[in-house]
Amino acid sequence: MTGLCKQHALKRLCTLPRGAGLCLGLIALLGAGDVFAHAEVGVAGGLASGFLHPVYGLDHLVAMVAVGLWGAQLGNPAIWMLPITFPVVMAIGGLLGVAGVPVPLIEVGISASALALGAMVALNMRPPLALAAALVGVFAIFHGHAHGTELPSAVNPLAYGVGFVISTGLLHLAGIALGVMTRWPAGDKAVRILGGGIAALGAFFLAGSVGFI
Amino acid sequence: MRIASFAAALWLGLMPNAAFAHLASTRFGEFYGGLLHPYSTLTHLLPWLALGLLGGLQSPATARWVLLAFPLAVAVGATLGSWLPPWPPVDTLNLLSFIVLGLGAALALRLGRPAFLGVAALFGISHGYANGIVELSGSERLLYIGGVACAAYVLIALVTAAAQTLAQQRQWGSIAVRAAGSWVVAVGLIFGGFTLLALGA
Repeated sequence: MTGLCKQHALKRLCTLPRGAGLCLGLIALLGAGDVFAHAEVGVAGGLASGFLHPVYGLDHLVAMVAVGLWGAQLGNPAIWMLPITFPVVMAIGGLLGVAGVPVPLIEVGISASALALGAMVALNMRPPLALAAALVGVFAIFHGHAHGTELPSAVNPLAYGVGFVISTGLLHLAGIALGVMTRWPAGDKAVRILGGGIAALGAFFLAGSVGFI
Repeated sequence: MRIASFAAALWLGLMPNAAFAHLASTRFGEFYGGLLHPYSTLTHLLPWLALGLLGGLQSPATARWVLLAFPLAVAVGATLGSWLPPWPPVDTLNLLSFIVLGLGAALALRLGRPAFLGVAALFGISHGYANGIVELSGSERLLYIGGVACAAYVLIALVTAAAQTLAQQRQWGSIAVRAAGSWVVAVGLIFGGFTLLALGA
């Protein structure tokens, strides 16, 4: 076999698995209908609605980013403690929502969380860890309750829960990633400005929720 | 070449429904059914994921035993579930597994080998039981149980290995593993509460 032929044969060998992989993927995709007869129903719909719930509400969204920003600003151990404890505390709020236990002034609490957490970031406040955790924890109850109230009516409640927990966690992660900028002086200022923006949005939502605007 | 292979793939994908069904119903159909059943059910997938995360935070000497213990326990559970009628406490135990395994990972609990394997075996049996299908018999039942056990092995092996690697080789790795564990706890708390409230209502 000449060198050219060898190269050609090698190329064919290398390109074959890609085509074969594509074929297998398609076959699996098209042929899997029977097997998924066992699957839970409405997983995709539940996941999507849960995932989008915190994202569609701008007050939720900015408050969750502020949690990540503040954690990054506070440094160790807050940077890892907040993203680990927040989902669990939020779940307790969610459970209250699922059970139909009323928590007063939900919308006010969510707006206030954006205002307070944004202000903490903007002012670079560094309270003791227990106090920071308590503040974030109280707000987590409000956010969890708002998500939990929607859960019983979801297409698939479990998938809805997975969706909103992942979405919230990713928003924290986004905040932490932005908060990494605090390592540089200019970045530190940018994070504080971002915190100011979040606080301003929180004030706007708060004014709306108490009927000022 | 690409277009040709794509066209061939599309043709192959669209054509062999009958052949696929034939293969599935005559030889390995129930095996694949068993293999995919836990993956298509979040009530199994999430706690198994949490067990893998917890395994990733144990010593490698402890963690590697779960690769043997968990699939075996799942096989035992699926065998029991295929013979015995549905038993409601199993579902409660499975809900509890979200919280126990997720919390273990979130708190980065370092368990001794007997405790870790005991927890894995207990929840392996309970999840296996819930995967059992009474309607199957003979070789179909055997293939199905084999599929469920293989699913348990593949998931636990992959997640435990990934979590071990992350936790040991990246500074943020153990935090990521613990955060993922806390997500499972959160889902378990809300869904478990919802299910128990619905049962009580």
